[in-house]
Amino acid sequence: MIEAVGLTRRFGDLVAVDDLSLRVPDGAILAFLGPNGAGKTTTVRMLAGLLAPSAGSAVVAGHDVRLDPAAVRARIGLVTDVPGLYEQMTTPDYLSFFGRIYGLDGASCRRRIDDLLAFFELDGHRKSRMAGFSRGMKQKVALARALLHEPEVLFLDEPTSGLDPLAARALRDVILELKHDSRSIVLCTHDLAEAERLADEIAIIRHGRLIARDAPEALRTAGSTDMLVRVTFAAPLPHAPGLVAGLDDLEDLAQGPTGALTYRTRQPNTVNPAAIARLVAAGASIVSVSCEVRSLEDAYAAAMAGAEDAGTVATSAEGGAR
Amino acid sequence: MTDRDLPRLMGSGQPPRAPGDLQSMLLIARRGAVEALRDRMTLFVSLFFALVFPVGLVLTTVRPLADANGPSALGSLLAMYLLIIGLLPSSAAIGIASGQFAGEKEQGNLTPLLASPASNLAIFGGKVLGSVAPAIVFSVVAEAAYLGSLAVAVGTDRLRLLPVGLAVGMVALVPAAALFETAVASLISSRVRTFNTAQQISGLALVPFWGAIAALGFGLRSLGGLAVVVAVVALFAADIALTMIAAATWRREEVLAQR
Repeated sequence: MIEAVGLTRRFGDLVAVDDLSLRVPDGAILAFLGPNGAGKTTTVRMLAGLLAPSAGSAVVAGHDVRLDPAAVRARIGLVTDVPGLYEQMTTPDYLSFFGRIYGLDGASCRRRIDDLLAFFELDGHRKSRMAGFSRGMKQKVALARALLHEPEVLFLDEPTSGLDPLAARALRDVILELKHDSRSIVLCTHDLAEAERLADEIAIIRHGRLIARDAPEALRTAGSTDMLVRVTFAAPLPHAPGLVAGLDDLEDLAQGPTGALTYRTRQPNTVNPAAIARLVAAGASIVSVSCEVRSLEDAYAAAMAGAEDAGTVATSAEGGAR
Repeated sequence: MTDRDLPRLMGSGQPPRAPGDLQSMLLIARRGAVEALRDRMTLFVSLFFALVFPVGLVLTTVRPLADANGPSALGSLLAMYLLIIGLLPSSAAIGIASGQFAGEKEQGNLTPLLASPASNLAIFGGKVLGSVAPAIVFSVVAEAAYLGSLAVAVGTDRLRLLPVGLAVGMVALVPAAALFETAVASLISSRVRTFNTAQQISGLALVPFWGAIAALGFGLRSLGGLAVVVAVVALFAADIALTMIAAATWRREEVLAQR
């Protein structure tokens, strides 16, 4: 569980994080989205007990980050975009070092390392120095290090940054597997698809301020009920736009180079049946009708644009991040 | 990636109890020392000063002097060289200490340790110990190489001219001086952003110290045994005080705030 109120961090005149309040319940994944320099990493560092807040407070895993950062650090795991390994060591030696630092006794540490190496499929590389590992393997080791002591809260700061698509996908699968009833996960990312796939909630940060926070689905539809409808035909129907042009609540009508008809509507329940009836009556052979709500990218762009006059946080639910 | 769940370590949900400061310090020191000894550049330079330099010095400088000086002057001269021979490889501690904080910060591998429950004293003390230990090992090798080549080049009979008290004092000054160099370098390294900056500032800051140690070495030749003991004890006390102050004033939560 993470609960932060009015968290602020200043570096001289620069306000990196400004009055940020949020709550991440146990077993939830919160994704921070935002441009470079938005304050995501600074927020994570404050919550991880690595950076003292200039103002505000936060309780992470039951301990105050300002009053007892050591207790917070004992209960969290942190993975950054840089694996940060001692690359001349072998993986078991490296994990053993951190296991001892976290207080695992010899037998527990060895057992845990065996489990983690098997889980991350690093068993075959026990005797190799990590300097020769691929970026994806190094990031797996970093994640194994962060999980050694079974942290209650896991902070993942752009963990898939710099990974090739397959390695990134493998790591995302792991993150989903790590979602545990009693473990909160905070994920910083630039990758909207990653946030949408992994997170229960997404918090969008800009200039250190939280400008939107909600479930991915709610964020996508918030402020817009537009639906993009695409109709494809078996044979070309050049006059298709003219057939549906007169319908109410139908906007952005267009026909693509492949002959597909697209339009936006806020009333798909009434507009779509009427449009399809007209097209069929005109002899159209319809292959498919697809409907898409606004993408997260659209929602993100809208939130960024709307943040010019920010100060309030867009959210549809109480009790989550604020 | 396996599709099975990661087995749980503890049923209680309580984190393991972090080890005490001393245990953490030793873990961190051991890791740092091993890493330093695996660094080829550190190893190459240090072994040059630990093996090649003492032998070369004996052959090119000490042997001619041995023939030109009387027994008393030769004994104190040989003791003085014990200090010089020991100090040169110990300066590796500056580079190692610079790498332990600023270097690791630059490479991004300081963050996991900062995010661990290890205390400031454990991290700082561990890094100081981990930096000074390899340097002292190199110094021991250098002293052995010096004494060995002395025995071969000028003879064991002349080696017996070494005044035992003064020789022990000079040798004891080496780890005390190395620890001081390490504490200063760690103090600086933990407060700057880059390895190069840490190394350069540390080198400049220690120039007066090296001058003082050289003067002390020359002075001890005439001051006697008690002065040697006092000097060594005072320097070790200064080392411990400096390390404690550096650790206590090190604001770990601000290390990553330097932009």
